[in-house]
Amino acid sequence: MAISPTLLLSLLLFTTFLSVSLHHSTADPDSDSDSESSDLVTELLYLQSQSKSGVIHLNDHIVSRFLTSTKTPRPYSLLIFFDAKHLHSKTELHLQDLHTEFSLLASSFISNNDASSASSLFFCDIEFKESQNSFSLFGVNSLPHIRLVGPNVKNPKDSEQMDQGDFSRMAESMAEFVESRTKLTVGPINRPPMLSTNQIAFLGVILLIWAFFFIKKLLTKDTFLHDWKLWLLGAVFVYFFSVSGAMFNIIRKMPMFLVDRNDPNKLVFFYQGSGMQLGAEGFAVGSLYTIVGLLLGVVTHVLVRVKNRTAQRVVMGVALVISFWAVRKVVHLDNWKTGYGVHAFWPTSWS
Amino acid sequence: MLEEDTRKLSMADGESSREATARTLRNAFGNVFSFFILLLIGILAFSIRLFSVIKYESVIHEFDPYFNYRVTQFLTKNGIYDFWNWFDDRTWYPLGRVIGGTVYPGLTLTAGTLWWLLNSLNIPLSVETVCVFTAPIFSAFASWATYLLTKEVKGTGAGLTAAVLLAMVPSYISRSVAGSYDNEAVAIFALIFTFYLYIKTLNTGSLFYATLNALAYFYMVCSWGGYTFIINLIPMHVLLCIVTGRYSSRLYIAYAPLVVLGTLLAALVPVVGFNAVMTSEHFASFLVFIIIHVVALVYHVKGNLSPRMFKVAVTLVVSVGLVVCCAMIAVLIALVASSPTKGWSGRSLSLLDPTYASKYIPIIASVSEHQPPTWPSYFMDINVLAFLVPAGIIACFLPLSDASSFVVLYIVTAVYFSGVMVRLMLVFAPAACIMSGIALSEAFNVLTRSIKFQLPGSSGISQSGDTSMNTEGEQNDIAKTEKMDETAKERPSKKNKRKEKEPVVKASIRSRIERRLLVLPLEASVIAIILLVLLGAFYVVHCVWAAAEAYSAPSIVLTTYSREGGLHVFDDFREAYAWLSHNTEVDDKVASWWDYGYQTTAMANRTVIVDNNTWNNTHIATVGTAMSSPEKAAWEIFNSLDVKYVLVVFGGLVGYPSDDINKFLWMVRIGGGVFPHIKEPDYLRDGQYRIDSQATPTMLNCLMYKLSYYRFVETDGKAFDRVRQTEIGKKYFKLTHFEEVFTTHHWMVRIYKLKPPKNRIRGKTKKSKSKASSTSSPKRSGTGKRNPWH
Repeated sequence: MAISPTLLLSLLLFTTFLSVSLHHSTADPDSDSDSESSDLVTELLYLQSQSKSGVIHLNDHIVSRFLTSTKTPRPYSLLIFFDAKHLHSKTELHLQDLHTEFSLLASSFISNNDASSASSLFFCDIEFKESQNSFSLFGVNSLPHIRLVGPNVKNPKDSEQMDQGDFSRMAESMAEFVESRTKLTVGPINRPPMLSTNQIAFLGVILLIWAFFFIKKLLTKDTFLHDWKLWLLGAVFVYFFSVSGAMFNIIRKMPMFLVDRNDPNKLVFFYQGSGMQLGAEGFAVGSLYTIVGLLLGVVTHVLVRVKNRTAQRVVMGVALVISFWAVRKVVHLDNWKTGYGVHAFWPTSWS
Repeated sequence: MLEEDTRKLSMADGESSREATARTLRNAFGNVFSFFILLLIGILAFSIRLFSVIKYESVIHEFDPYFNYRVTQFLTKNGIYDFWNWFDDRTWYPLGRVIGGTVYPGLTLTAGTLWWLLNSLNIPLSVETVCVFTAPIFSAFASWATYLLTKEVKGTGAGLTAAVLLAMVPSYISRSVAGSYDNEAVAIFALIFTFYLYIKTLNTGSLFYATLNALAYFYMVCSWGGYTFIINLIPMHVLLCIVTGRYSSRLYIAYAPLVVLGTLLAALVPVVGFNAVMTSEHFASFLVFIIIHVVALVYHVKGNLSPRMFKVAVTLVVSVGLVVCCAMIAVLIALVASSPTKGWSGRSLSLLDPTYASKYIPIIASVSEHQPPTWPSYFMDINVLAFLVPAGIIACFLPLSDASSFVVLYIVTAVYFSGVMVRLMLVFAPAACIMSGIALSEAFNVLTRSIKFQLPGSSGISQSGDTSMNTEGEQNDIAKTEKMDETAKERPSKKNKRKEKEPVVKASIRSRIERRLLVLPLEASVIAIILLVLLGAFYVVHCVWAAAEAYSAPSIVLTTYSREGGLHVFDDFREAYAWLSHNTEVDDKVASWWDYGYQTTAMANRTVIVDNNTWNNTHIATVGTAMSSPEKAAWEIFNSLDVKYVLVVFGGLVGYPSDDINKFLWMVRIGGGVFPHIKEPDYLRDGQYRIDSQATPTMLNCLMYKLSYYRFVETDGKAFDRVRQTEIGKKYFKLTHFEEVFTTHHWMVRIYKLKPPKNRIRGKTKKSKSKASSTSSPKRSGTGKRNPWH
């Protein structure tokens, strides 16, 4: 397997050489450009086969070879992902995520299309530190940035930029963008399964063996499943997790806190308006919800068994103060957040 | 000697009998007392839901209830067989809809039966009245069912507390105010009652209750799609019991009949049909059904064999059984995996994987009921119960019984699901009430005991007397449950039980010794009781406020308070529907956006093109396309559907925000999804939706714009839209293919008629048009007088 790329390369080079020499001998200008472009395509195909995901890594030299120094119309389009290694640490840009999505798109495109249509679109990436000239050539000054260079584009700056919205939904939306601009079909995105078949089989066997022992243990009734304290802990945790609105935070991908717009040094932990909440806010209120109930439960079921009167008094006092404060705090926060004016309906003569 | 003995014996007899009579008297008194408390709870549950009737009127609310109301009307008029076979040709013209096979009939049949019963008792209530009050009545039933369920778990006190909490929990009120005639109104009662019967069967091991349980489950399946929660929760509990070593024959009796009878009965409901055995939502119950049989067999064999023989048998059976099991599970997985959605409906999947809906099904994700809730939603919907639930969970674990483990499982699953979808808060609320009821009752129990036995006035004698009585009662209870256990349990498991019994008795003795010490400091208890009562009072205030202010608006009649404090009523919807029913032919077709379909068929009795049962996307897209096309194209589409009248809802004059202009982008999107010549960007200026002078020409020429803003400039001279807070883009224009026939008092509903196809006699139509426009001129006095149906 390992030999085949090199073998292929030598074959390709050989045929290229042959065809080039042949064409040169005929000296027809039209076929000359034809051969030149087919040349470029084969070279691109070679470069593509070199990379594992099918994404060609560009540098200033390759850019000039395939883009700036070629005549239009080119027989291929290039979809270029602009990358910067030193920005990978900035998670809010999602550069790495987007790059993996981009590679997925590339590999899916190559596997879904036959050779003729697969050679009309190539997926490339380019790194900022390596090829700063190309970045300025394209006029790219912010990331993430993806550009489609169509066959007729002369000046790289005229090439089409993918909107923020087009790569927000990952490979599928990038595919839509490509399909709408190039009249090519990408086909379904082939995401690699989380586990390979071997791993699944291995895990299955382990599970089977474990199940044997587990059932045996189950019959003797001394597993962690028989420990009620664990169940209690789990139940209270699920309760805490849900009432704090953590599911909202996960589904909407809410941050834990925001930075105040007016004063960047200040952090905003509580968001006013009932339709939204921040992560930290939810967990804070969730723990207030939970702590009161837990204290009440402890007082009614554990504290009564304590024999020391003073200890009872102290614990109860603390519990009462904390509960009172927590309830007041939640009521106050709720009124502030939602703006509802909850009021009682007293008889009018009372006021 | 002998005489003395007998005398002593008789004396002891007399004493014990006196004590017994005292106890029965106290029990009887307690029973009567709790009966009256329950009655009051029922009245409370009913009457707290009447705010909507008092503040507005006795009217059906919103959209879906109108459909249910119409179906009920049909049922009472034509009988059950016609209802079952009803093909409705008044909706989805020209397709129609098979009503009998596509609705959950529980609610309709319930209200229909109620109406029939009342009428046969010579109480002549109208169908509408019965429908309006069905939900409050069933809330009373639901709180009684909660009492029964909690009583099975933790005794009468907890039951009563839970019932009173459920009677006024805001989450449930929001779906069951008078007039909110929807499936959930009866389904929550059915849900709780099914759970009660399951627990009852589990505690008694009686086949009678098991059968009732299957019937209650059938009623739940009839009523609401949420029945899948039951058929997944109960198997989960059974599995939990088996895994934690709590298997008993009572468990078998509680579960096996439910699955067999329940599935058969569920398949009888047309809307469920073979789904009861074919979809993955039900597979869990079958899997557990197999497991419980295997376990039952193991227990049976274990009872008949000696321990050593049993060990041999186990190794044999486990190794063979495991192989068989693996093969079956593999087949099952292959079966499930072969279907595209893995056999699960999108909604269920989004419960298991919360991010599923937002990724793949925008239709589900876009509905506001399916959004995940934030923490204020919990405070709004269950209020202070959110604080009490953890205490209830702790109480359920001390000690853990079959019943209390069930409620723990119920609350854990329900709270997780409610975290994913705000709509499921409704299922969570009863669980929260049960848990809080248990917590409050336990807390009051401990605190009042602490006060009672430590009051300065109380003497030691009464203390010891009381405690002994208490423990005696407890012992009695234990004896009773043991007897119950004995009768219920199979012989094979008796051996195990003997072993179990001894520690129980020991524990009871220990508790008798300890009980004298189980008190808290007096002053702290007093403060705690005061704080708990305050918490309860806050809950009551909040619930009454929520019922009165937040959840009572019927949305068919709108009210606002003017600055002087006066009440202003907007009754435009009913005005428009009444106009339709009095001024159009019976077979005329009315086109509107689907939101108003149910109301138009129910109130105006006219045929509609699309309605709130959004089963046919193409049809909806056709209407959307017509609304977003220019006048001529729209006329052609509507004419091809035999439409005579077009109804639009317009809030620009009074500032009613949920009008058709605000929904218009959805019409464009849905229309464009099927008919590609409608493109959303054509209606947007730089990605912004606007109707002012910056609006795109496509927007300004589409039918929806024209029908909404026709003659709008005549109202104030500037044509200022109060919803969009801007002056509209095109103020003066004429309609060529439509003519205005009716506009309501506040311009909230506008009805247009399609002009006849051949429009040759220009002069005549013009004259009639000018007449029509003067009829509905903004001068209100004119409208009032010319109103054709006065």
